[in-house]
Amino acid sequence: MTDQIRHRILQRLQGAERKNVAARPALPTPRENHLDAAQLKDQFMAQFEAQGGTCYPVADRGALHDRLAAIFQAEGITRAMATTDDVLLPLDLVRWGQHSGVSVVMPPDYPDRRGFTQAVFDEVQAGITGVDFAAAESGTLILAHNRNQARLVSLAPLVHVAIVPATRIVGTYDTAIQALFTNGRRPSQVSFITGPSMTADIQATMFKGMHGPQKIVALVLE
Amino acid sequence: MNITTERFKETARQELANAHTQKFLQILPLRLASRRDSAYQSFPDPETAHRYGQAVRDESIQRLPELLQVFETNAITNGARVFWAEDSRAANGYIVELAKRQGVSYVTKGKSMVTEELGLNEALAQAGIETWETDLGEFITQLLQRPPFHIVGPALNIPVEQIRDIFLQKGVIDTPTTDPVALGMAARRFLREKFRDLQMGITGVNMAVAETGTVINVENEGNIRLNKSSPRILVCVMSLEKVVPTLADAMHMLRVLCRSATGQAAGAYITLDSGPKRSDDIDGPEELHIVILDNGRSAAYQDPKTREALRCIRCGACLNACPVYGKVGGYPYGWAYSGPMGQVLTPALQGLGKTGDLIRACTLCHRCKIICPAGIDHPSLLLYYRYKDVVGDRALGGSGTGWRERFVHTLLSVAGSDHRLWRLLAKIARLAANRFRSGDRIHSIPNGPRGWFSSRDLRALPAKTFRERWAQMDQKRN
Repeated sequence: MTDQIRHRILQRLQGAERKNVAARPALPTPRENHLDAAQLKDQFMAQFEAQGGTCYPVADRGALHDRLAAIFQAEGITRAMATTDDVLLPLDLVRWGQHSGVSVVMPPDYPDRRGFTQAVFDEVQAGITGVDFAAAESGTLILAHNRNQARLVSLAPLVHVAIVPATRIVGTYDTAIQALFTNGRRPSQVSFITGPSMTADIQATMFKGMHGPQKIVALVLE
Repeated sequence: MNITTERFKETARQELANAHTQKFLQILPLRLASRRDSAYQSFPDPETAHRYGQAVRDESIQRLPELLQVFETNAITNGARVFWAEDSRAANGYIVELAKRQGVSYVTKGKSMVTEELGLNEALAQAGIETWETDLGEFITQLLQRPPFHIVGPALNIPVEQIRDIFLQKGVIDTPTTDPVALGMAARRFLREKFRDLQMGITGVNMAVAETGTVINVENEGNIRLNKSSPRILVCVMSLEKVVPTLADAMHMLRVLCRSATGQAAGAYITLDSGPKRSDDIDGPEELHIVILDNGRSAAYQDPKTREALRCIRCGACLNACPVYGKVGGYPYGWAYSGPMGQVLTPALQGLGKTGDLIRACTLCHRCKIICPAGIDHPSLLLYYRYKDVVGDRALGGSGTGWRERFVHTLLSVAGSDHRLWRLLAKIARLAANRFRSGDRIHSIPNGPRGWFSSRDLRALPAKTFRERWAQMDQKRN
């Protein structure tokens, strides 16, 4: 039945007289492709802030821990969830939290999906994630979701802190997408995050934090 | 969704008299259009980027059957389930059945024009399943039972007092407020409960990538991401023209779409889904269902001209450019798609029977065509529809012309075939028409062409024709 319908639809499309495909004009090389690493970092940070995020460069692990503590203190955050991605694991945030008065949990702490969902929606005040890439073209964080990059951590809490290794800043989406989809790999989900959750649906009054984070912070790690 | 396009004039008249709508229309389209224009300047070469996007859509549509099959194969390889739906009933039936089988009591939805087109909420309600729209604007229009006013902001025109009242009535807020932010935050809290315990989410699709079987959504609020992350079952409904060849093409179209729709370099959230969650992921859907919807599109595809309407990427830029939309707003268009976008899509999908006024509500100013990132020539399509309507085209359900009009045309062609007869009849017609003059204008002619006089006067006809004056001048000169 379904096959018949599929067949019928495709047959109708195939039976139609087709026109030649128009030639594509030559696109100029993106500006970002001419930038060096330092310029890319500058552009990423500028764009990230232009999109409504807050960005701090941090020189090393120690500086990152200090900055994180300062942010959480200012926001009054005492409970956070961190993913287990390869950027965060070496930072040992659980231990950092014990010293800084922040209880840091991770998705594997929960025996089942239900417990995790409950926690990420209702119990934690902030989500901390690494990134796979950050695109300078629009100040966009690019996250490939998998067992170490749970989807809801960067989404459900009101604050999202992303740790961005400077080496992962690329010029355009294309570089990131090529790397993520290389050799037939297809991540189940890739998110592009550009600024906080936003809406202007009531009387065109813009406000942040409609469904996702109200604040988004990037710590750019040298 | 019921089509109310046949009431175009009536609704337009109401909206023209609605002070609130008018105040809003003076600001919103202009603001969005200027944002779009300045966002385009961030392209190294805006004109080439514009034309490149149009070429991507052209190729997507010309190669549609092939690309759809490649997309399907890849989506299935990724672990998605693909269902082809010939019409709304089939698509709604599949989704309702799925919800029933899973035993869910409610579903949530991301903003999606295609599910408006399906009338999915009504179908789910009939099966006893509650639907919650989760885009703030859609949430408000759903509670108020209104159609979307603008594709980007479905409830932008609704006065805040009305939102306060409906939120109070539906228990979204306890204490009255007219602060947009407080109202938005109340909706966040209300819908968050729904997301947390969600079993089944439904979204539309902005783009489907053939080479990887990936579906892409663009948004600003995060409700689509929640729909795609929290529940065990995810249904993505795509009309069959959404496919693009490659990921690189999709990246370009995303840049063009976001700039055209809201003047942003990128929407806050863009998600690319290739199959359901993997077995060891803690969140994401265990089942990803992709519904590929035809609903009249493969029929519209038969004609290379109507096929052009399928290029549309639903950015809404044409609404902001349109002088007619800028006066009447989104309601008169009477279906899921408003503005020039709706004027080319609705007749292609619904036929001309109910959409006669739609194809005429256009001044042929060409602003929509110039701004369209998909390369649609709206004015020429509208002229084509008018032609098809007048000749009574069967496939499109054109209504043809009445006997009186046909009679007049026959008369004119007979009269025009002989110059003496023509001059004689012109003389008689002038005298006859001038009997109804008042001053230098003719306001109406009893039993005459009412259509003409409904919106214009006729200048009283001069005593002498051009030829008579010419002959007179010749005489004088000689």
